[in-house]
Amino acid sequence: MSGLFQEAILISIFAATLRTMTPLLFSAMGELVTQRAGIWNMGVEGTMLMGSFVAYFVATATGSLWLAVLAAVLAGAVMGLIIAFMTATMRVDHFVTGLGLNLFAGGITLYWFQSYVHGGPQPSFSGFEDVPLPFLSDIPFIGPVLFSQRLLTYAAFFIVPAIWFLLYRTRYGLELRCLGENPKALDVKGLSVPVRQYGAVMFGSAMTGLGGGFLMLAFSDRFIADFSAGRGWIVVVALIAGNWKPKGVLLAVVAFAFLEAVATHAQVVGVGVPRQLLLALPYIASIILLMGVRFRTGQPAMLGFPYARE
Amino acid sequence: MIRIERRIEANPWWTAGTLVAALVAGMLASALIVATAGADPLEAFRTLFFGAFGSQKAMMTTLIKSTPLILTGLATVIAFRAQIWSIGQEGQVFAGAMAGYLGSQVLSGLPPLLFFPGVILFGVAGGLLLGGACAILKTRFGVNEIVSTVMTNYLAIYLLSYLLAGGPWAEIGDGASYQQSVPLPAAEHLPLLFGTKLHFGVLLPFIAAICGAVMLDRTALGYEIKALGTNPVALGHKGTNIAKTIVVVMCISGGLAALAGVIELYGVGHRLKADNLVGLGYAGIIVGMIGGLRPLGTVLAGLLFGGLASGAVSMRVVSDIPASLVPAMQGIILLFVLCASVMARYKIVRGTAS
Repeated sequence: MSGLFQEAILISIFAATLRTMTPLLFSAMGELVTQRAGIWNMGVEGTMLMGSFVAYFVATATGSLWLAVLAAVLAGAVMGLIIAFMTATMRVDHFVTGLGLNLFAGGITLYWFQSYVHGGPQPSFSGFEDVPLPFLSDIPFIGPVLFSQRLLTYAAFFIVPAIWFLLYRTRYGLELRCLGENPKALDVKGLSVPVRQYGAVMFGSAMTGLGGGFLMLAFSDRFIADFSAGRGWIVVVALIAGNWKPKGVLLAVVAFAFLEAVATHAQVVGVGVPRQLLLALPYIASIILLMGVRFRTGQPAMLGFPYARE
Repeated sequence: MIRIERRIEANPWWTAGTLVAALVAGMLASALIVATAGADPLEAFRTLFFGAFGSQKAMMTTLIKSTPLILTGLATVIAFRAQIWSIGQEGQVFAGAMAGYLGSQVLSGLPPLLFFPGVILFGVAGGLLLGGACAILKTRFGVNEIVSTVMTNYLAIYLLSYLLAGGPWAEIGDGASYQQSVPLPAAEHLPLLFGTKLHFGVLLPFIAAICGAVMLDRTALGYEIKALGTNPVALGHKGTNIAKTIVVVMCISGGLAALAGVIELYGVGHRLKADNLVGLGYAGIIVGMIGGLRPLGTVLAGLLFGGLASGAVSMRVVSDIPASLVPAMQGIILLFVLCASVMARYKIVRGTAS
């Protein structure tokens, strides 16, 4: 193997890591806000799937990719509204709510998809292209990795500091963290707990919808059943492994994305390992990662407990 | 003045009433979904229910389709009653079918009275081990069972895909279809009941449901399962080994789900193929929850959804509406039932607070 070839492969793997990271990062940062607000949302997978399907539908029906992104964000927010209604208003168990929502999303996207295609040829679209930044993308090695990406991947670079700032440097972030640690403190001050939880869940789910939309518009040209293929669950694992801190979650997401990038490249290069084993790597890694994570210091104290006043 | 007050004890009539209301509301919402896709809801429901319960033949298909759903539903009941949120039923169905198929290679040629119990034990062992592994991940390593069971679901699905797509169990030769095993010989099909089209496996869910109901209500293990769900701290003080109980619960749950997979293989599909198994585990979660996490309720819910699954086939043929309406309906109804289960804990009272 020549040195030039190896460098090309490395560049390709790192660039793919950033691309793969983008949808996971949007979703993980959104769900970080949701979980810090005390809602243990297990419906991430279903929300992401809904975002992907709606993006597919709008992209093929209107031909506008940015309209599709907007629709995916809205679809995510609607899913968040359902989760918030069930957890904050009805006070259904958080885990059960999430499971229900995933099954709902899996069924309904498939039904809508089959009704839309109706046995005919499946409409497809051409997704987002790379947008190389002038000058920066010409830097050797770093240029093609960092600065020759989709526009939304550049946006993802800024999302972690933005969420960090929101959580730790704003009044709203303080209230939000309080929701997860001690909602009663807000309640006795006359600040509404449900209203803030609705806000946090809808924001988080909208971000997951955005992630699902990007997954569709940047990686594919058509929808298939179970399109999100467990990425929502990877986000849930990343939150636990990252100890509910922005930096930790970022590290976990990068690790998963790198693993997936390596797996897809190993397929292309033709490593003598069954394809299915490569595909299963992120799931095996999740289990091993969670076995190793012994600290849960960052877990919000009231995460997963429906808040009731009495 | 009308107020809403928390009930001290559940009223079975009010509980049943909220459940029926949720089913009706779920149907209405499903009708809206049908309309969003530009189809006629009345026509859809008419062909759906006629295809499910409209003739003797339809009812037999319903019974066959309900069999795996009731079993995975019971698997859900056992785990969820202990508040162990295992959603590994999907992977355990796959594990059951794979281990059951392995059994046929080991036991092939034995007389039926030994062969069928043997392969069923093989299959059940597969799901039991998978469930038990997730339980140990939870008790020894603190891995959340929802996450671990989701991950093992994917692992089981990929393993089957590896075994069948060019792997050791793939059907090879001209006209061989992608991703399936060779068909089982006729001697290895589950025997049929008294000249009907029903295989012997349709009896198992009913036996399992009765055993499950007796176990939950009349045995020490059942008491421990329910106590684990309602008050694990007290259970620990009583001296029960909680970790052991969790492992036992997840083994039973995994074994039940695997039974669905092995019955589907020997009774219906007669060859190992993912298409025959996919979704049975996830649908079982819905069936168990709509059955109120009670064995007998799960049988009723399983018959209803088995009916919808069989009716979906004729609905697609007659009305040209995609069969995936059924999983969509299941999901919608589930969300309503979850809300109803909360409402069942409250009552509406007139007058002022006492």
